[in-house]
Amino acid sequence: MKQKMSIMIVDDEMIVRESLFHWFEKAGHVTDTASSGAEALEKLEKFPFDILFADMKMPGMNGIELLEKVKEEYPETTVVIITAYGSIETAIKAMKTGASDYLLKPFKPDQLSLVMEKIVHQKKLASEYRYLKGQLEEITRFDNIIGQSPEMRHVFRLITEVAQSDASILITGETGTGKELVAKAIHAKSHRNRFPFVAINCGALPETLLESELFGYQKGAFTGATHSRKGFLEVVSGGTLFLDEIGEISPKMQIDLLRVLEEKKIIRVGETRPVDVEFRLISATRRDLGKEMKEGTFREDFFYRVNVITIHIPPLRERREDIPLLTRHFLDKYSHETTKHVDHVSREATEHLKSYEWPGNVRELENAIERAVVLSKSRTLKTGDFSFLSPSSRRFLKPRSLRDMEKDYICHILSECDWNVTRASEILDISRVTLHRRIKRYNLQRT
Amino acid sequence: MKNEKSPYNIRIGVVPVGEVPEIAPKVVAAHFVGYLNLSTDIFPPLELPGYAFDKRRSQYDAGLIIKSFESMQFDNCDKVIGILDVDLFVPLFTHVFGEARLGGKCALISLFRMEKNPERAAKTALHEFGHLCDLQHCTDKNCLMHFSKGLEELDSIPLCFCRYCSAYLRDAFCRLSL
Repeated sequence: MKQKMSIMIVDDEMIVRESLFHWFEKAGHVTDTASSGAEALEKLEKFPFDILFADMKMPGMNGIELLEKVKEEYPETTVVIITAYGSIETAIKAMKTGASDYLLKPFKPDQLSLVMEKIVHQKKLASEYRYLKGQLEEITRFDNIIGQSPEMRHVFRLITEVAQSDASILITGETGTGKELVAKAIHAKSHRNRFPFVAINCGALPETLLESELFGYQKGAFTGATHSRKGFLEVVSGGTLFLDEIGEISPKMQIDLLRVLEEKKIIRVGETRPVDVEFRLISATRRDLGKEMKEGTFREDFFYRVNVITIHIPPLRERREDIPLLTRHFLDKYSHETTKHVDHVSREATEHLKSYEWPGNVRELENAIERAVVLSKSRTLKTGDFSFLSPSSRRFLKPRSLRDMEKDYICHILSECDWNVTRASEILDISRVTLHRRIKRYNLQRT
Repeated sequence: MKNEKSPYNIRIGVVPVGEVPEIAPKVVAAHFVGYLNLSTDIFPPLELPGYAFDKRRSQYDAGLIIKSFESMQFDNCDKVIGILDVDLFVPLFTHVFGEARLGGKCALISLFRMEKNPERAAKTALHEFGHLCDLQHCTDKNCLMHFSKGLEELDSIPLCFCRYCSAYLRDAFCRLSL
């Protein structure tokens, strides 16, 4: 089977570019040329070339410099250095920097053919490696929940353990951490997976509507009830009911649900005859229900009924090692969905994403990647593509002293206020004299 | 050499360039008639092109000769094969046995490194002619369009195109005959 490669020839001499171009064209490869390193990088941004044949000596950026940049941004692109200034040192340097091979000008046609055969073999091995890596990623993915951090591995273990029981589960975690995904995973792994999974966001529905949605109603029970309707507690029969934002429901609804959980019976609105129901309850909340229970705003008996087992999903900022994995997943998803060829995130951008606080957690990361992919004009997402992320939410990369933090913050507020000391002191909630003293101490100057 | 049985109206010009053994153009022409069923014309020898001689390398630049041949008129010929007995090169490479551009009109072959073996010249001519008909290198080691790494490999290739390259050639002949 012939392996068709996309090849770029980078050389400042047109005759050399032409000569190699025709050779690769005859071999059936997709070939392009660039007369400089800068042009090559420009073309690489738009198209993922498999192999680059770069001349060592070029004006501007030489072959090694180009090789360094390519290896940094597009590590899967194979680079072969062509040099007429052949020396062991040059060859060693090229190979150490990541060149796949080097050719000394002029070379025999069969030498080029052998280099190509070697590269095709390497690419085949790399492709097998990617396949196996993909299989490994399956292990780090758990029913669409992605994570390899110890915290997430603990969550995965819990899901498997609790899935087979019928105990009520309370999933806690900040908004956007994937509470519903965990609930779905539990349902999918349980013996109830052939029955419905019904999700209701309690915070999105007013109390009366929530009641009729959950319990159903009899025709004529209230104005507009033109026909009888089964509630979700009946519809879910045999399956799993997921009540999101359970902390939002009223004390009355807490009592009603508590009764349902204890008696396994419901009475439709406007009806007197009870109906048997059977389901598993999974609830979720971003609030601290234990604290609310102590404060008396959440019923204690209801709390213990819904909270037989707790699964806590840590916020993204507490499992930053999952960010590259999630980024890769969303990048694949949105470059596929939008048919835009964006397949890289630069190292700096990854660090930038890792340093961000992610108050909206995985959901915010997903939206950020989608937005960056849609707006990106190159195949690599760079730090600039994430400029919309609020800098105030960025974590400081290195531990810093309080003095440095104070200095930076005062400087920031002063520049925000255009060095109006009165206004800045109001924002900082310190006197003008104190602010002047700080300005002097830190030797702050208007720039 | 008119081939009355050829279903295609295609003529191949065989042009000796410089001093070439008399037998070589005849063998090459005979292979086009015998294996591809095409008509051929053997032209009188042309002078060696001095403009293509690279003094530093003591070789002739195949690309330059092809460019010059492309602008010349060879009576009623659809494709032209130039035969030389000098060493040919293209930039970057030490040498080439033959040279042609995909879909071009003229190809060159050099007897210089073929140890005066006319069959090698014929195989190379057919291979380069394949390129003139837009054929790329073939992975089948028993096909004339397979890239030979050296004389040994060239000798091991039988005098035929694989079924895919044959089909592609027939298609190219139909286009050329129009």
